[in-house]
Amino acid sequence: MMEQQNDNEEKQEEEEEVQKIWSWGAGTEGQLGTGRLEDEHLPQLLLHHSSLLPCSDPISHLACGGAHVIALSSGGKVLTWGRGTSGQLGHGDMVNSLYPKVVSSLENNFITHVSAGWSHSGFVSDGGCVFTCGDGSFGQLGHGDYRTHCSPVRVSYFVNKHVEQIACGMRHSLVLLKGGSGDQIYAFGSGKRGQLGISKDKVKSISLPEVTYGLEDVKIVSIAANGDHSAALSVDGCLYTWGRGFSGTPDVQIPQSLPSSLRFTVVAVGWNHALALTGEGEVFMLGGNYHGVLGDLEKMSPAKQFPADSREAILQKVPGLNDIKTVQIAAGAEHSAVVTENGEIKAWGWGEHGQLGLGNTCDQTSPQAVSLSHTPNEATAFKVYCGSGFTFVIMTPCNPSQT
Amino acid sequence: MEWNSELQAYTYPCPCGDLFQITKDELKLGEEIARCPSCSLYITVIYNLDDFLADSKTNNNNTPSQPIAVA
Repeated sequence: MMEQQNDNEEKQEEEEEVQKIWSWGAGTEGQLGTGRLEDEHLPQLLLHHSSLLPCSDPISHLACGGAHVIALSSGGKVLTWGRGTSGQLGHGDMVNSLYPKVVSSLENNFITHVSAGWSHSGFVSDGGCVFTCGDGSFGQLGHGDYRTHCSPVRVSYFVNKHVEQIACGMRHSLVLLKGGSGDQIYAFGSGKRGQLGISKDKVKSISLPEVTYGLEDVKIVSIAANGDHSAALSVDGCLYTWGRGFSGTPDVQIPQSLPSSLRFTVVAVGWNHALALTGEGEVFMLGGNYHGVLGDLEKMSPAKQFPADSREAILQKVPGLNDIKTVQIAAGAEHSAVVTENGEIKAWGWGEHGQLGLGNTCDQTSPQAVSLSHTPNEATAFKVYCGSGFTFVIMTPCNPSQT
Repeated sequence: MEWNSELQAYTYPCPCGDLFQITKDELKLGEEIARCPSCSLYITVIYNLDDFLADSKTNNNNTPSQPIAVA
């Protein structure tokens, strides 16, 4: 009996050992989890997660912010590392952490969703509670004041509501309520560029959640925020954006649907661009004329592409991904990364800190394959995540018995 | 931009994860470029020089910035 248990434990350990995590890019705040404060231009294989991470279950999701990372385990635990000087790590102090550390004050909750902003963090529990910590100076924590918190504090506004997701941008936050339709997205924090979407009039900042405008009759399934941008996807694949205008177009004060017949399943936003993935595995981009995030603009006629009176950002298909379907997308401040269906990681955009993982600091105008010193194969599942100037990849072995 | 007392400078987020920075002394000298210590990017700061020459704290919060990232 005892032997059998030991065998099982060993087997479990072997399986867990196969999850691998790589990081690269800007590292001067400890955000890469390498234990060093250096930029890395090539993917760094972090140690086997159980020796790296102080929790026994595999990592199911990462959220990468300005210079910090939130990891969510399959058991609902939360670990954070990187810059902590605004309290965004939730460890009860205001210091950086070179290594992943459990957010102990959330241990009584099973966390199901996390988001990392520029210098604040959001956590959602299976019971529909939402917690925030970090910089609150723009009201982005939603507690009705402009205070900063170094441990997660429950947002009391949502006490009688069931929160499903939170999305943290540079200085604002979005919250998506579960189920139903209408009045589903709430926003708080800085609204200077229209990123709250709560009013046609300009809003400087709010510290208590307010419902977004004009989505009453739309069923929203996911939200995204980064920089001064906000985005949402409806159940039928329509993309809504608001906030800072893309490609020099005017700011948008309330959610605006993208006039397109395409149906999107995933959206990711950067500081000057947005990526959207279709159900057919095609990747489209809004904006992105910074640092070669989308590169072939020079080849096009700028006058034709961006007429001075254009009020709509231009949606373009990302070049160089034609032959293979994309299964996942991620957007950093000014770089992008995708996972293709054959398990390849491709990255492009701004590369000064090595955030593309190509071994140099060059910008790239089209997706380039990242070498992870691991043979891609269908039995493994990759997930890619981008922080402002860095990138993470998780490889989790597909376990048929678990799916 | 925001005043950062630890750095003794006005700061604005840089897309690399660090902060664009400019000190009050630099502003008094008429400097209008806030640089990021970690990378080649910088932003142009739009401000009223008189606010800083007067050295009045009450005026110093009115430092608008128009970030223009330049590689």
